[in-house]
Amino acid sequence: MACPHVEYRETDGEQSFDTARAYCAVAERFVQPMRADICTERYGLDPAADCEIYRERAGLDWDEPGDGDAVRRADTREQSETESTETSESAGGAESTGGSE
Amino acid sequence: MTYDDYLDGKPVIVTAALTGGIQGKEAHPELPETPAEIAAAAAACEEAGASVVHLHARRANGERAFSTERFQAVTDAVRAATDDVIVQHSTGGTAAPDALRAEPLRTDPPPEMASLDMGPLNRYDRLTSENTRDTVAGLHAEMRERGIVPELEVFNNGHLNEALATLDAFEDPPYLNLIFGPGTLSPPTPQTLLSMVAQLPQRAEFTVLGFGRHQLPLTTLSVILGGHVRVGLEDNLYYTAGEYASNEQLVARAVRIAEELGRPVADPSETRELLGL
Repeated sequence: MACPHVEYRETDGEQSFDTARAYCAVAERFVQPMRADICTERYGLDPAADCEIYRERAGLDWDEPGDGDAVRRADTREQSETESTETSESAGGAESTGGSE
Repeated sequence: MTYDDYLDGKPVIVTAALTGGIQGKEAHPELPETPAEIAAAAAACEEAGASVVHLHARRANGERAFSTERFQAVTDAVRAATDDVIVQHSTGGTAAPDALRAEPLRTDPPPEMASLDMGPLNRYDRLTSENTRDTVAGLHAEMRERGIVPELEVFNNGHLNEALATLDAFEDPPYLNLIFGPGTLSPPTPQTLLSMVAQLPQRAEFTVLGFGRHQLPLTTLSVILGGHVRVGLEDNLYYTAGEYASNEQLVARAVRIAEELGRPVADPSETRELLGL
């Protein structure tokens, strides 16, 4: 699996490379090698959790990137945990995936 | 590692950080990525006066790689292209599994030196390089087993706390890389550098790494404070504002400044003696 917005290409009209590189169709630029690890979901990274560009496009951020939406989502989850054990386990699993990154 | 060392003309160790793993050719068209490109840069930097080269490995498309196989290809190419330069492998790896972090230590031969990140730091808006104490201790243990001398990567003052608290675990002289830049790094000011150097014990040696435009002033200050210097495209892409640098240019400038200030540049054998390699 990979981010739906990543393309591997050799040129964007301004820059050209011998080997195809990760290009973000949302940001409209070649991405840094470290960010490409998110695009490719390498090492368990997940664009929906780890990429602010993906999240902004998907409307997943509550406000602006860096405004702590993950913390506020955690508050919501804690509230849910008091309401449903099943929900708690589900949320815990999702958090474990995110927490290992 | 004091101002007296400056006055006494103690040799300066110049490390060239040739490639890194965060940025690539998308940021600088001549940034070396392949083993052949990294080896050519290493040879040019050795010729210019660097005695240590700090290496990362990459995939064919420039993306990060941590495998022993990839590091072997880089280190083999560098050793073939250089005379006597000291090879230092990175063990850094934001978001990479801990199991991969020791892979760069397992080349044959092992590197003479390796980086050892002393604690957590943030990347982008949502990534953290965790570097727990357990991870740091595990990497250090493997370095000891393989006879690799660690360079303690001090990204901020908290990491300096960690380094000082564990300094007895390191043989003399412990070698600290004081790192200055944005985000969770130490604020890049002369005052911060002075404060950190004042906390170092006499038995330590230190080098300085400044990101971007802070590379030149802070490494110059390090020379005056009796420290050493790390330069290269991993940390800074530009020679002056808007003008791309090469690794060789950055090393040559550091050498010129050190010599102008009265400190000769250490050759690899002098560096081995200074750091107990």
